[in-house]
Amino acid sequence: MTSGKKRVCLAGLALQLFLIIAVSSRDTFWVLSQSRSVFPKSSKNLWQGTERIASTALGQRLPRSNPVRQILSGYLHLSGIEVGYGFFAPNIANSYKLVFELRFPDGRVEYELPRVSNAASVLRVAGLLDQIGRTHSEAFRQTMVRMLADSMWREHADATTIRAIFGSVMLPSALEFEHGKRESYEFLYAYDFSVSEESTEQSTP
Amino acid sequence: MKRLSAWQERLNDFCFSAESDTWLAILRIGLGLEVMLYALSLRDDWNYFLAGTGHGLISRNLGETILSLESCLVPRLGWFVTLGTRIGLHEETVLSVAWICLLGSGCGLLMGIASRFSAILAWFLHLCAAKSGGFVSYGVDNFTTIGLFYLMLSPLPDRYSVDWRLRKSRLNDPQLLGFWLRLLQLHLCIIYFFSGLTKCLGSGWWNGSNIWRALIRPPFNIIDPEILVRWKYLFPVAGISICLLEIGYPFFIWNSKTRKIWLIFICGMHAGIGLAMGMYLFALIMIILNVAAFGPGLIRTEHARISLRPQEVIL
Repeated sequence: MTSGKKRVCLAGLALQLFLIIAVSSRDTFWVLSQSRSVFPKSSKNLWQGTERIASTALGQRLPRSNPVRQILSGYLHLSGIEVGYGFFAPNIANSYKLVFELRFPDGRVEYELPRVSNAASVLRVAGLLDQIGRTHSEAFRQTMVRMLADSMWREHADATTIRAIFGSVMLPSALEFEHGKRESYEFLYAYDFSVSEESTEQSTP
Repeated sequence: MKRLSAWQERLNDFCFSAESDTWLAILRIGLGLEVMLYALSLRDDWNYFLAGTGHGLISRNLGETILSLESCLVPRLGWFVTLGTRIGLHEETVLSVAWICLLGSGCGLLMGIASRFSAILAWFLHLCAAKSGGFVSYGVDNFTTIGLFYLMLSPLPDRYSVDWRLRKSRLNDPQLLGFWLRLLQLHLCIIYFFSGLTKCLGSGWWNGSNIWRALIRPPFNIIDPEILVRWKYLFPVAGISICLLEIGYPFFIWNSKTRKIWLIFICGMHAGIGLAMGMYLFALIMIILNVAAFGPGLIRTEHARISLRPQEVIL
């Protein structure tokens, strides 16, 4: 291997490692800035500042149309390093559940969950529900639930109304479980869809 | 100046150490298997997850629009669908062809047939599917992309591939093989360090409650909680062990004395997660990456030790 080629390889390696560390740091600082860790809440501003530095290093504070940002972001996706590695960390949040209440012209009411064919796909749908549950954007949540309701409607074309009920699964601690407490559901949102009306209504707890 | 050149030499020795292509063969075969299982696991839901507006579970178009805001350079299935529509192919047909090609590329990797082409095709199609179906993607897709990205850039084919036997290719540059191995090893170290660090920040890993919650949280709750609760005293030990195992990975995996035990425990941890939480594909990809990165060195060390003995006797 020539020394010139080695230098190119080393530069590539340094850039790749820099990007991996910057992305991982950004996500770690974000977790810390959300005050979901063992650190006191007063340190929130510090972590927000460090997260901003990491984001700047990744070009994410540039305008979206900026070519540098587009290229950097594109490369991160191509190499699979666009997200950090805080799986199941720092703590494990509750999961979410979406139930569809289908009403038929004959007065019948059926309850359905989003349907997929196997356990591997169930994991993927659970991830989707987590995204819907965690988002702060009501518009995003409503759009996603509407799409899921649409898919349900295609399977039950004769239903007149569909109510999508979105809730959080509350998990008991091991001690509570021993004392007879089981997982429960906390109602978060409900959306009504009907054949005649295009609009949705939202109910809150 | 002397110190600088010595430092540079050490860096060169570290990054370009001569390596055999055993690790590359493990990575190629492992990723081939992973891609095939990924495609097969999505066989019945492929079109349902990746169809456009009004045809699937969620709209692929929405995912791709959000992706476009991030970068227009990221590959997506929408490109193929648009192209297919122009030549009169239905969206469903295009998606099915993409699935068949992905499965075929996995087979190609497994056997080592057209290794480079198969690696590029597998990376590209898997990335398209993972990005277009971004709403239903999770960690396993990122790790598969990482593995395929390094694989397609590495000096293929390896000597265990069909390509090697048919074409009688010449031996790959051992220094280049060493370079790509080093990159994979360093990447894994960063992954585990940050994963361990983030876990250490949560109190639930120290008192074991996160182990309990992970195992009873739908859809990972495949073990009956009535059985799990009997082992509750082990949860804090398991939680702390996972934190230490992950955060200690970059420090203990390089040392020849601790490498074997660390690799066994890490692979054991992933196998445990796979079996106890039903995350089989996730467990498989992590084990593949770990064994490819740090496994061959161990096997070689053992072989070297064994092969030295007779010589020592002769001497």
